[in-house]
Amino acid sequence: MLKVPAPPASMAASPLPPPDPQFVLRGTQSAVHALHFFGGAQEQGCPLLLSGSLSGLVHIWSLQTRRAVATLDGHGGQCVTWLQTLPQGHQLLSQGRDLKLHLWDLAEGRNTVVDSVVLESMGFCRSSVLAGTQERWMLAMPGRGSDEVQILEMPSKTSVCTLKPEADAKPGMPMCLELWQADSNPRPLLLAGYEDGSVALWDVSERKVCSRVACHTEPVMGFDFDSQKTRGVSGSAEKALAVWSLDEQQALQVCRTHELTNPGIADVKIRPDCKILATAGWDHRVRVFHWRTMKPLAVLRFHSATVHCVAFAADGLLAAGSGDQRISIWSLYPTHSDMSAPLLGHAEGREVGAHAVA
Amino acid sequence: MAVFDTPEEAFGALRPVCVQLTKTQTVETVERLRAQLQAVSDSALQELQQYVLFPLRFALKTPGPKREHLIQSVVECLTFVLSSTCVRERELLQELFSELSACLYSPSARQPAAVSEELKLAVIQGLSTLMHSAYGDTILAFYEPSILPRLGFAVSLLLDLAEQEKSKQIKVAALKCLQVLLFQCDCQDHPRSLDELEQKQLGDLFASFLPGISMALTRVITGDFKQGHSIVVSSLKIFYETVSFIMADKHLERTSDTQPKPASVEPRVAELMVHREAKWVKNTSDKLTVLIKKITECVSIHPHWKVRLALTELIEALLLKCSQSLVGSVGHLLKALVGLVNDESPEVQTQCSKVLRHFADRKVVVGNRAFADILSENLHSLATSLPRLMNSQDDQGKFSTLSLLLGYLKLLGPEVNFVLRSAAHLQRLSKALIQVLELDVADIKVVEERRRPSGGLSSSPESAALLQRRYFRFFTDERLFLLLQQLCQLLGFYGDLYLLVDHFMELYHESVVYRKQAAMILNELVVGAAGLEVENLHENHIKTSPEELKEIVTTILEEYTSQENWYLVTCIESEEGGEELTMKQSGLQAITSAAHTCQVTSFPAFSKPGPTICSMNSNIWQICIQLEGIGRFAYALGKDFRLLLMSALYPVLEKAGDQTLLISQAATGAMLDICHACGYDSPQHLISQNSDYLVNGISLNLRHLSLHPHTPKVLEVMLWNSDASLLPLVADVVQDILATLDQFYDKRATSFVGVLHALLAALAQWFPDTGDLGQPQEQSAGEEGSHLSQKPAAPENTATAEDIEQFLLNYLKEKDVADGNVSDFDNEEEQSEPPKVDESDTGPDVEPPPPVQIQIAKDVMERCIHLLSDKNLTIRLKVLDVLDLCVVVLQSHKNQLLPLAHRAWPSLVRRLTSDDPLVVLRAFKVLRTLGGKCGDFLRSRFCKDILPQLAGSLVTQAPVSARAGPVYTHTLAFKLQLAVLQGLGPLCERLDLGEGDLNKVADACLIYLSAKQPVKLQEAARRVFLHLMKVDPDCIWFLLNELYCPEQLTPPHPSLHPVQLRGTAGQGNPYAANVLHLLQELQ
Repeated sequence: MLKVPAPPASMAASPLPPPDPQFVLRGTQSAVHALHFFGGAQEQGCPLLLSGSLSGLVHIWSLQTRRAVATLDGHGGQCVTWLQTLPQGHQLLSQGRDLKLHLWDLAEGRNTVVDSVVLESMGFCRSSVLAGTQERWMLAMPGRGSDEVQILEMPSKTSVCTLKPEADAKPGMPMCLELWQADSNPRPLLLAGYEDGSVALWDVSERKVCSRVACHTEPVMGFDFDSQKTRGVSGSAEKALAVWSLDEQQALQVCRTHELTNPGIADVKIRPDCKILATAGWDHRVRVFHWRTMKPLAVLRFHSATVHCVAFAADGLLAAGSGDQRISIWSLYPTHSDMSAPLLGHAEGREVGAHAVA
Repeated sequence: MAVFDTPEEAFGALRPVCVQLTKTQTVETVERLRAQLQAVSDSALQELQQYVLFPLRFALKTPGPKREHLIQSVVECLTFVLSSTCVRERELLQELFSELSACLYSPSARQPAAVSEELKLAVIQGLSTLMHSAYGDTILAFYEPSILPRLGFAVSLLLDLAEQEKSKQIKVAALKCLQVLLFQCDCQDHPRSLDELEQKQLGDLFASFLPGISMALTRVITGDFKQGHSIVVSSLKIFYETVSFIMADKHLERTSDTQPKPASVEPRVAELMVHREAKWVKNTSDKLTVLIKKITECVSIHPHWKVRLALTELIEALLLKCSQSLVGSVGHLLKALVGLVNDESPEVQTQCSKVLRHFADRKVVVGNRAFADILSENLHSLATSLPRLMNSQDDQGKFSTLSLLLGYLKLLGPEVNFVLRSAAHLQRLSKALIQVLELDVADIKVVEERRRPSGGLSSSPESAALLQRRYFRFFTDERLFLLLQQLCQLLGFYGDLYLLVDHFMELYHESVVYRKQAAMILNELVVGAAGLEVENLHENHIKTSPEELKEIVTTILEEYTSQENWYLVTCIESEEGGEELTMKQSGLQAITSAAHTCQVTSFPAFSKPGPTICSMNSNIWQICIQLEGIGRFAYALGKDFRLLLMSALYPVLEKAGDQTLLISQAATGAMLDICHACGYDSPQHLISQNSDYLVNGISLNLRHLSLHPHTPKVLEVMLWNSDASLLPLVADVVQDILATLDQFYDKRATSFVGVLHALLAALAQWFPDTGDLGQPQEQSAGEEGSHLSQKPAAPENTATAEDIEQFLLNYLKEKDVADGNVSDFDNEEEQSEPPKVDESDTGPDVEPPPPVQIQIAKDVMERCIHLLSDKNLTIRLKVLDVLDLCVVVLQSHKNQLLPLAHRAWPSLVRRLTSDDPLVVLRAFKVLRTLGGKCGDFLRSRFCKDILPQLAGSLVTQAPVSARAGPVYTHTLAFKLQLAVLQGLGPLCERLDLGEGDLNKVADACLIYLSAKQPVKLQEAARRVFLHLMKVDPDCIWFLLNELYCPEQLTPPHPSLHPVQLRGTAGQGNPYAANVLHLLQELQ
């Protein structure tokens, strides 16, 4: 007689509900193309999430109130493709399709452009920085020639060098860059993914390619590199992820590839604790893998358009930005040992595991 | 104005009288002496004091029986002398004292003599005056050990009088005199305070009387309430003054155990002397404890507030001065004091709080272990007996018990944790609270009352308060609830909040029986912890920090709004039931409300209030309490609650849309509380400012609709209460909703259609079109009306032949134009255009994408096309409403509207021609709206697809209804006829039908103008014609006259032939009445 609005019986049959975002940020009013977490546990104040949109705005979101606390408008309505904060000071770098790279001062509620670098090629390539505790830091960005990468010393903006592939290589445009420095070796290295699907390792000081390996048949859209294990993973327009490693002789080699159901990976990120990685799919989905085994763990369905970017926070929170103008925030396999922390949505380990769809 | 100023003169005047008095002792002589004394100045009298006193004392002392009157007047005269003079010698004082007291003593009976009341009063007055007349030193000398027997005699005499006498005056006087004797007189004549030693000596002296005084006074105090409050008040005063004087800690401290032998004391007197050593103190204290217990118990319930006020003074005095010596009574005293904290008299309350604050300030309670020990001991024992007391006592008893508990908490402050940390005591305390707070859930109204089906969130606070009133099983007194609230708040304020919240959360989980009470208690604990309604008596107490409080509130909130505690069964109807009928519908008020009442009376549980009703009632209350809790939490946290809105607002809004009136009211109340706490102007403001949080909740819950079936409701409430700025935020959610709807067409259509309706209504309101459809009916009516008046309906007699000629020429010309035989296109609007549907607008030039609202309306309308043929009548009705609104929103975007209208058409035709009368009517409304914006499109289709069928059915049904009896009006056929007739008129007018189609309609409706048809159908038919007249009055005029022609027509010009119309004017014409009525309208 009574109709109980409780979970229906069918719930028992289906194994577990699909994981949900912990929450969703709305209000960018255009597609989200760049995400970056800023601050967190070690910083005073609540952690922030920065998002760059197709309409050229950078939104600063408070993860505590889940609202935009500020909007930066500096790219003349052109898409913001890359966001990065510098370790010291509240400084933000933003790269836009208006061929500008702005340095913002965010300290104490300020949001002003303190410096700008003009880019010289209209590529898709996102820049990269190598910054330590020193005052000086290094910036890698696409150079004048379509296949060149330019290295600048900041904040003086002096050009260190231009990395141009050998004439016979023809790797095409650089698609993504990552500057890094091995613990043992103080010389800065640059990893670059190219249009022809290859990933190359540059020795910046010697301006030469140490190693280059073809990972994909399509342009490399994004990669991430785990400098501890000296292993990286890259995604491209094709239906596969490539995992490659770097041996002691600084030679790159492809370890394995992982087939996907749908083609097109816009972004790949490894979580700071190097346990899992997430990919942003053109098929509207975010896929989560175990980094060591590359075992697929979960397919996160929420967005209704291409996912353009993913980002991990220091505490493990995952954010995904999509063409549907939403940013979804997920809490998966919390890195904290205390499970009482209210980070956990539906997605406890086994639940997500049970839902893993390759 | 003394006559005799010098002693000599006075002596001369007084001497004869005194001599005479010595000789003959009569009342008259005494009176004469007294009269003479009046004329003597005080100083002179002082000189002659001994002389004057002698005859009077002599008169008293003469042995043998005396007349009472004489003694009385002698005593009065003596009193007079003493009042004007001072007694300077100790001997005189002592003698006078004994002589006066002897007047009331009958040696035979060993009790006060049976003398007249006047005499008693006179003697008491005399004694009192005597003591006042003594000089400071003299009086101190008077209180030497040797006076002990005589003093004791007088004291017992006065006590007897105070206790036994009938006359209130005597009692009061005796008590007053006793005060004087015991050095407690508060008049201005004794300014000198005693030094330490003197106090000690006096104390020793008075100690002998303590048993007598205390017992006698206790008897007086605990006597009949009717004896008058002033007696009890002064007895109380004497009691505490005496006890606190004799038992004062500061004197007893310094008493040695061995009694110093006073030298000059007779052995008989020495026996009477008391030495206040430790043993004596202990004995006395034990005995006093019994008395004090009696007094406090009796007096705390004394009806007169002044008595209770005096009790607080007693407690204060004893606690302040004798807390060591009377250690056994401290418990009783505190208990009484604490019990008076919530006295009904504000004076007592104030005094009590003052005393309590005084103790708290002096750290007596916290600092002095003894006090704190006693308090917690009392609290322990109270906690132990609390469940039993709550079970057995009546409201008044419960009230005083709980007041007592409250007082303990106030006094103990943070120390209360000693009790709370004992698991057994916490258990008992909480059980008692839970037990007493049990709600009475038998009231059926709670389950029955339904929310008024309007979208807004406004509800008058008074009616809400009335409804939200709770009935408790174990008490009815409203004050008790307030007291319990205070109690919980105080617990939350002083107690270990984590401990308490944990404990009550456990109870909350333990059983449904406890859940409501535990929630109520938790709510108040949190408010108390915030320290908002609590007066802090303990300055060193540290409040719960806002962060901790927020954490605790978050935990409780999570619990409250969890799946199993938030989604309880509160009604029997299923979602798909007739419930949705109660939602507001315009137009068919009568029918809807009829359906509503019918639905309520058919409520199955109405006839058998069983356990299910109770459990639903209980569930409703539970949700209300939890909602109230959310409001209380907001109140406790203030602006800090804003962060919690992320998780709290959604569930509240969910309940604001609940069908149970009580719940939706409680939710509205909670929202108001939140608004108040977080600084929002109104619930609307609250919703619009936090719509992002709500949208987040909605979109996530839509993903699991089976788990969160109420999600659409939240969106609905949100839409009703927001403005256009919400649209960008909800746009993606609307897409989600539509996508989910596509998945669940069969199961959850009802709730979705509700949302769609709210959405479209909101869109129509937010984006009003400039060419509004709001009042098109009136507009067009006005136009047509003027048109109608311009055109002469019938040729006037005054017309000339030229006029007629001109008229005919014009007519012919117009006819030509109408037939299309005209070359110039200056009157384009008259031309009928082909339907625009097939005209494809998708030219090569790319159109800008339509605005969001248009896109949404388009998407919704597409869904409506599918849902139009739903099996459920309610859904079909609702969908027609949504469709109507879609048309309104889309009206200015014909490119979007027309293709959709085209697709919706077949389904709409089905609704009009073969569906429930309600649906038919509603479908007509949609057609009317549609007709307003795409009339041309609709006209041809209407005439082709619908009109023939409708006209046909009207014609075939007409004979049936004409023959039918009164029962016919209840049949479906009748309702259909009525619906068609009601719908046709406005639609025809709106569509501006051509002549042929108009005639079709008119022909079909004419039959219904017959008087043989049911009245309602006649009315409806008349209305159809009224509308038709606006389209083509001439044609209708002719048609009506053909049916019934009331008057002979005279041609406008003699050159024209008279016209004979077919309508017969006979009385038997069944159309006469209606046609006449309509023709009148045409004039």
